[in-house]
Amino acid sequence: MRVAHYLNQFFGGVGAEEHAGKGLEIHQSAVGPGRLLEQLLGGEARVVLTFVCGDNFAVEHQDELTAAVLEKLSSHSVDLFVAGPCFDAGRYGMAAGALCHAVQAKFNIPAIAAMSEENPGGDLYRDALYIIDSGTSTAKMRDVLSKMAKLTQKLIANEPIGSPAEEGYLRRGWLRDQLVEKTAATRLVDMLMAKMTGAPFESEMPATAFAPVPMPAAINDISKAKVMLITDGGLVPRGNPDRIEGTAATRWGSYSIAGRDDLRAEDYEVSHGGYDTRFVQEDPDRLVPLDALREMEKNGVIGKLADEFISTCGRSNPLSNTRRLGREMAEKIKQDGVDAVILTST
Amino acid sequence: MQLILANHLVTSMQFGTPARLEDTDLVIDTTELRRIVLEDDTVVGVDFEIVRPGEHCRAGPIFDVIEPRAKEPGSGVDFPGILGAAVTAGMGKTHVLSGAAVSVLAEISPDLTRSATGRVLEMSGAPAEASAYSSLTHLLVIPRTKANLPRQAVEKAYRIAGIRVAVAVARLALAQPADSQRQFEPIGPAASRAGLPRVAYIGQIFSRQRKPAVDEPILYGANTDGMLPIMLHPDEWLDGAIVPSLHSWFGGTETYYYQNHPIILDLYRRHQAGEMNFVGTVATIAGSDNFDRERHCNAAANLVKWNLQADGAVLSKYGGGLPHADLAEAARLLENVGIKTAVMVSDVSRDRRVESALLFNVPEVNAIVYNGGNGTHWEVPKVDRVVAATAEFTDLLTGPMKIDASNIVGVTNQQGASRMRSIVY
Repeated sequence: MRVAHYLNQFFGGVGAEEHAGKGLEIHQSAVGPGRLLEQLLGGEARVVLTFVCGDNFAVEHQDELTAAVLEKLSSHSVDLFVAGPCFDAGRYGMAAGALCHAVQAKFNIPAIAAMSEENPGGDLYRDALYIIDSGTSTAKMRDVLSKMAKLTQKLIANEPIGSPAEEGYLRRGWLRDQLVEKTAATRLVDMLMAKMTGAPFESEMPATAFAPVPMPAAINDISKAKVMLITDGGLVPRGNPDRIEGTAATRWGSYSIAGRDDLRAEDYEVSHGGYDTRFVQEDPDRLVPLDALREMEKNGVIGKLADEFISTCGRSNPLSNTRRLGREMAEKIKQDGVDAVILTST
Repeated sequence: MQLILANHLVTSMQFGTPARLEDTDLVIDTTELRRIVLEDDTVVGVDFEIVRPGEHCRAGPIFDVIEPRAKEPGSGVDFPGILGAAVTAGMGKTHVLSGAAVSVLAEISPDLTRSATGRVLEMSGAPAEASAYSSLTHLLVIPRTKANLPRQAVEKAYRIAGIRVAVAVARLALAQPADSQRQFEPIGPAASRAGLPRVAYIGQIFSRQRKPAVDEPILYGANTDGMLPIMLHPDEWLDGAIVPSLHSWFGGTETYYYQNHPIILDLYRRHQAGEMNFVGTVATIAGSDNFDRERHCNAAANLVKWNLQADGAVLSKYGGGLPHADLAEAARLLENVGIKTAVMVSDVSRDRRVESALLFNVPEVNAIVYNGGNGTHWEVPKVDRVVAATAEFTDLLTGPMKIDASNIVGVTNQQGASRMRSIVY
């Protein structure tokens, strides 16, 4: 097995922080922790390339570093790419994650890193990679490398990978179904009893922390602003021309309301299976309040109402999908010179 | 309230005359059952089939699964409010044919599942191992409804046909003594079990994401219009007070698991083992808007705090996505008055990412049981026997085919029966 290994300037033996600006060096053999890694991987494993780069250089010239590593690997066929362990060194973790991610995508070989849960590289790349939880103590080097070696062997042999707790990697945030012995009812009551008696319990689903959306700058004068209506309540012209799905929609549409003061029931339908749509079907303005906005436009409360409204269906839609929908809508909104948006949901 | 369940084990089922239960062998006479089903003039014909555990057989779409049960004469009404007066369920003696089920097939495919097959009963292979329904012997009822009826009238006919047949079949048990009797230890807010934690259950029985039909039976025959959360004795759940709404496809809710409510039975088990004081239940509904939601959640939490005086509560939901909000809000209100909670949710993550898994983000609601299923499908083979209401469904279900776990009845279930969970990797 031919292995490539990435180290920062400290573990690569170049020196401490004062050498963090140093560029990429390439060795044709194992360096520092790579020697132990070689042993732990077993008899036939050889580290044939070691990339060593200063932490500052790596984050400041990430694209350049990645391109150089990928180019070198193109001419040296390797079976495995290993980065770190990086422990809690943030810049090192970011570089290690980025390189593993790029190598995995380009060469379709296993790429593995190790860092602590708090390392910013962990948050950035844990969904894309197996990252062994190294903790923060470099004294655990052997232990961490040994976990990396074990997981690597499974990856190469294409064996099933166990849970984060079993294999020691940072939770990747993926769900896998499993049939278990206890029914949901028993697990539910077990969990309550543990919680009531102060015993440890583990929720089957952790709460997700979402990055806060920064507050946009306030509109100084709404009477001069161009306002657009957007809904995820599934209002579409009759016949649903864009075939917007009533569940987990992958599409959105924009529909003209130019010159109209009111949405007529006979012109629209609702593609949304998750709420009682009768009231919207009776009068679509209840979901997309064109009538009210047109009045505000006439009275000078708002500057102008955009000539189209945007619609999709928000029902049971995974975030990986809605992020794309949101980005696409934002592009159109920018192109159309819209200053403010009113989002109506159900 | 003291429900006695008189258990009659059924190990085999066949057609014949006269209809009888002989030891554990159930003989079904279709003539009498046909007459009972055809009393409903929306039904123009009915067929019956028997399917057995392990059989190379597939049936669907399944409208409902019901355990055959019948009240002992003088002991109350079967499915009160639907088949008779809305008197209190859960009292006296009820005869149970355990190991058997009456399951109703639909002529139409549900519009809320991701597959045209609807929910399928699979009697062999890997899907069968994941559903407790596959270990039962089923009498399949296949009603033929009048043409051009509104959908809810068709589904109402299925509901009535299913429970009528289930009761009629279970009445055969009245002629012989039960194998065993089961009676639960009395529970109630007054029961004093000093030192044991007082535990309540809040169960959603409907979600007003859809307006129920005027005559849609859910709670004692009522459709939940104008309903506020109500305290029920657990024996009422087990004895026919509640049936699923007519559109119960999403997530899995069947009459069988009201009769054998996994959460209630687990709470009873621990109550009898002296681990807790099971103090009672609250039935509630998920609202259609925020006013509804606040009203229901506050009322349910108040009943648990002031009437049941619970120290902890388990909560389950009904229906699709929106009821998660009601579930989390009720739990949050309870936590805020010092009542510990654990909640059970259904799988909503279609991209199998943790970030898409929960429809609430409430720090207090930190004990969550997650029913999985969205990431599982099976490649099922062509089977020897398909039972379906129409030729189209027979063709569709013959296989080989790929089928989602959520489309196998009994694999995903919102009443607590599911053993399929999602694990975070």
